[in-house]
Amino acid sequence: MQIVFIPALSPLALGVIRKIKAAFQNRKGASVLQPYRDIWKLLHKDEVISSDASWVFRFAPLAVFSITLVVGASVPVFASFLANDVTSDILVIVYLMASATFFVALAGMDTGSAFGGFGSSREVTVAALAEGGLILSLLTVALMSGTSNVFAIAQTISSADLASLLPAFFAFAGFFVVLLAENKRFPFDNPSTHLELTMIHEAMILEYSGKRLALIEWASANKLMIFIALGANLFFPWGIAHDAGVMAIAFAIIAFAAKALALCMSVAVVESTIAKLRFFRLPDLLFVSFILSVIAIGLI
Amino acid sequence: MTDIILSSYGFFALIASFALGAVGALALRKSDALANAWSSVFAVLGSAWGIAYALSAFGAVRAPEYVIETSSLFPLLSVSFSVDKLSAFFIFIISLIALLCSIYGAGYVKHFYKKYNIGSLGFFYNFFIAGMLLVVSAANALVFLIAWEIMSVASYFLVVYERNDHRNVRAGFLYFVMTHIGTAFILLSFLLMYKFTGSFQFETIAANIASIPPFAANAVFLLALAGFGTKAGIIPLHIWLPDAHPAAPSHVSALMSGVMIKTGIYMMIKIFLDVFTDVPLWWGLMVLVVGAVSSLLGVLYALTEHDLKRLLAYHSIENIGIILLGLGSAMVFSSEGMLPLATLGVVAALFHTLNHATFKSLLFLSAGAVVSSTHTRNIEEYGGLIKRMPQTAFFFLIGSMAISALPPFNGFFSEWLTFQALFGGILSLPGAASWIFVLAVGALALTGGLALACFVKAVGAVFLARPRSEEALHAKEASFSMRTGMAVLALLALAFGVFSGSVSSTIGKVVRDIGAFGATELPLAASSLQQISVQNSFASASAPAITMMFLVAACVAALVLRAVYPKQKIVVGETWDCGTSPTPRAEITATAFSRSIIMIFKGILKPTKQTGIEYRDATARYFPKTRTITLGIHDVYRTYLYEPLQVALTKFSERVKTIQSGNINAYVLYIFVALLVLLAYVIF
Amino acid sequence: MTLHMENLFIQLLIVIMFLAAVFLHVVKKNSTAAFLYCAQSSAMALILLIASIEAGSRPLLFVALATFVVKTLTAPLFFAHLIRRHQLKFSASTYLNVPLTLIAVAALTALTHSHVFASLTALGDGREGMLSLALAMMLISLFLIVNRKGAISQMIGILSLENSIVAFAVFAGLEQASGLQMGIMFDILVWVVVATVFTSMMYKQFGSLDVTAMRRLKE
Repeated sequence: MQIVFIPALSPLALGVIRKIKAAFQNRKGASVLQPYRDIWKLLHKDEVISSDASWVFRFAPLAVFSITLVVGASVPVFASFLANDVTSDILVIVYLMASATFFVALAGMDTGSAFGGFGSSREVTVAALAEGGLILSLLTVALMSGTSNVFAIAQTISSADLASLLPAFFAFAGFFVVLLAENKRFPFDNPSTHLELTMIHEAMILEYSGKRLALIEWASANKLMIFIALGANLFFPWGIAHDAGVMAIAFAIIAFAAKALALCMSVAVVESTIAKLRFFRLPDLLFVSFILSVIAIGLI
Repeated sequence: MTDIILSSYGFFALIASFALGAVGALALRKSDALANAWSSVFAVLGSAWGIAYALSAFGAVRAPEYVIETSSLFPLLSVSFSVDKLSAFFIFIISLIALLCSIYGAGYVKHFYKKYNIGSLGFFYNFFIAGMLLVVSAANALVFLIAWEIMSVASYFLVVYERNDHRNVRAGFLYFVMTHIGTAFILLSFLLMYKFTGSFQFETIAANIASIPPFAANAVFLLALAGFGTKAGIIPLHIWLPDAHPAAPSHVSALMSGVMIKTGIYMMIKIFLDVFTDVPLWWGLMVLVVGAVSSLLGVLYALTEHDLKRLLAYHSIENIGIILLGLGSAMVFSSEGMLPLATLGVVAALFHTLNHATFKSLLFLSAGAVVSSTHTRNIEEYGGLIKRMPQTAFFFLIGSMAISALPPFNGFFSEWLTFQALFGGILSLPGAASWIFVLAVGALALTGGLALACFVKAVGAVFLARPRSEEALHAKEASFSMRTGMAVLALLALAFGVFSGSVSSTIGKVVRDIGAFGATELPLAASSLQQISVQNSFASASAPAITMMFLVAACVAALVLRAVYPKQKIVVGETWDCGTSPTPRAEITATAFSRSIIMIFKGILKPTKQTGIEYRDATARYFPKTRTITLGIHDVYRTYLYEPLQVALTKFSERVKTIQSGNINAYVLYIFVALLVLLAYVIF
Repeated sequence: MTLHMENLFIQLLIVIMFLAAVFLHVVKKNSTAAFLYCAQSSAMALILLIASIEAGSRPLLFVALATFVVKTLTAPLFFAHLIRRHQLKFSASTYLNVPLTLIAVAALTALTHSHVFASLTALGDGREGMLSLALAMMLISLFLIVNRKGAISQMIGILSLENSIVAFAVFAGLEQASGLQMGIMFDILVWVVVATVFTSMMYKQFGSLDVTAMRRLKE
């Protein structure tokens, strides 16, 4: 059941972030349901595929979307009892996301356009440098709870006392930076830019249209939702349902919605207040994330 | 049945098959096709027999030993071979990869007909494989050295096989020198061990290990690390690898990169964990640090390369670093008495050895198909090959996914196990050691990410987009035997990943056979559904589950998509390039792709850039005619380590040369003085 | 070995050999050097003859006669032929001048007579003096090779080295050993070979027998 939860709600998260950004800019902004309408529209459009593209280009959106579905089913959203021993390992999650990056980057190079090429180049650079911070921040909470299964981590940390959670805060700070990096948010990338030379993620998917573009957009929304779910439930897992009682689940859903909203708000605040950094300054920021996680491990 | 296979006839048949192949190929050298066929058939037969042999040796209760009595002629040299489980594992890897490379080679070697002597290729190729098999089964240090030399010399001749290109000859010379420097270190370490334990037999040395004083043991460790590390390709002893591996014919490069450098790892495991059962802490930490540094620097240098085979060679260095991470962590755990975690480390190292052999050979074989089809190794001249060589592209893609550790391929699972070993270290080790493990985890994570970047570049620039040269435009798909070899390897990459549970438990049996571990319980359990769980479920993962979920999700999503707008029209058009027609020059090149990473790491890589400009009118310099930019990467090791050494050595040699004055009187004077001195010494 | 009967005569012979070796350092003309060598070889042959008579052994007698024939009779003829053909009247200069050479010779003799070589000379019981003289002769001959630049002098140096080794062996009581006898025969054979073949080859190749001209041995 969780496997449809994330795809169903991810466009909503996108919509919320855009709405908050609009509020900062003194606009009314589009409705929070607009991303759903965008996906619907794209699904009903015809496609143009480049003559230079190969099967990689055609297959990549499906692969990426399916990967986000698989990972979505493996992260704790509102219940920690839906434990999954087989795909919920932190490394499995990280490397599955890396496979998604792999395919999108290849698709960006496949059409032979200049923008796609350098978009892929920048994307894999950022992804390569972010992976260290991501693994180490997830490792911190894993070490704190004695297991690397994300459900079990959520379970353990929600019942731990507050005093021992200091490392989790540092790790969360590192994780948040990686969240911004992997989901093409400021200060790494501007998701709503129309200037190709400033794009990272958008540049790779410039050639997509129609259903495939819908899948890719949806997949990146899923990815954002997955990161929000991980951030909310691994580092601040209170409110998560430990058993299958209806009240517990309802409470957990509300708790998750609140945490997700808080995270979306912080993303929106960051996007509205900080300017996008120059590309060669991004490694410094990612290195900061890495160091924060190392400090977190040291504090355990 | 297994008795026959494991008897000395069986072992002899194994080596004899390659020897026959070698000699026969040389005898048939006048006819290219016959020599190729003869050598391939015997190599395939020998490798298949080797796989059968390894599997039976694996199940044997006692390690089979073969001794040829020569103690009357050479008292120190007893020609004895012993195939314990570790050797059986390596024989399996060697035979498997040799089998597939020989199948590939049967078709690939056709490119050398009429240009070079096929008979000598077959001769050296078979001796090379035989040498490797002898190296991993030798039970006596002297036999080991003889087999090591056979392996090195045969591979030297293979490296310089395409001798019309002088770069290959230079690469071969460098390889020859470096491998003999390594052999010198190895020899010294064996001699030290002999001095204290009185024997060259590995078993005897292991039994008398306590008689080696700590100072000598440390010296043995450093010498062995340097010597075997030269063969394995650790930084900074790696300079031969990026030159030698590309110079050899592709099926030989696959063997060298996938298997030969692993013989260095085999001996390291044997000496550090089997012979020396009680190692000091700093040994393991040093191996760990060497592994981390090699993996990081290997992948960074790979990113700078735009010669396809050099790129793959640097990735071998990176993966050797990862293997050493596993081995180093095992040594650290072993010295702290945490044997279960130590076995986990060795399982990770051995699994990665197997996996790397598989996917690196696959990558080299497909690279070889591309290179022989386009007659260039420069990535910048490829492009669009996925349309012209679709199957090769597919196999290369699988190899790239495996090496970038993407699930469900095998690379992911061995890196996963390595990570688990490192995590175990962070959890259980005291103080400074656990910080080194944290940094090792960071290094491994960064390496994984950079490897992914590098292979996106490789796959993208080689196969995707538009062709950037005439040869790429007219490239043809590889021949059937070449595709067969690659296909089986790709299948194995997937299979070792999906069945990683059984594979890791099997490797666990190998590990328990190693001297330091005895019958320790593995902290690793694999369920019948191939789910690996480590240390009472600190972590668990299952390959088939991941694959199944992915396939199910993909099918469902595809079906839903089809249902949503069934009448969608798909039109094929040109790539949008701001209104102009896109040319091959619009695509990103391999150099440009990795430029960002190179600039980020410029402190380590030290890139150089020179620009030149030519104007239409030299006096009024307004309108440029051409601009040239030369980007270079400085080989740091050559300039700062090897060249000063070489200069010092040459200067010293020049000084010493003055003894040889050409004057007879001087020579007799030397004799005279020596005579007097010796007489005085003896009498006193 | 019982060489005590003609002890005085033997001592005289060995002194002749020793003096010949020493004077070889001093002479300037090649013909004088050849003559000295001839004298040394005759003394050697006489010693061997006496030893063979004493021991009553035929092989030794044969060896003595062979030595006499080759080294004393044929040698001067050969050297004379060589000198005449190549016009080598004077041997080339030496590295050290004459006084220094003689000092070196004296030093070497003192060395062998000192306690440094005591254990070696103790081999010949009762005849230490003669053994140390033989040893001194060896070292002096070697020094001749080092010091001289002309190939003829060096050849003669080698040959007198052979003589001194034989003398040493005889006095150490080894003359019965078949090894010694075979060694001497072989040595004579080598003499013949060296003398005829190599000298002409060397001269043909280098144009002179001055060893300092033979620097570029590779050509």
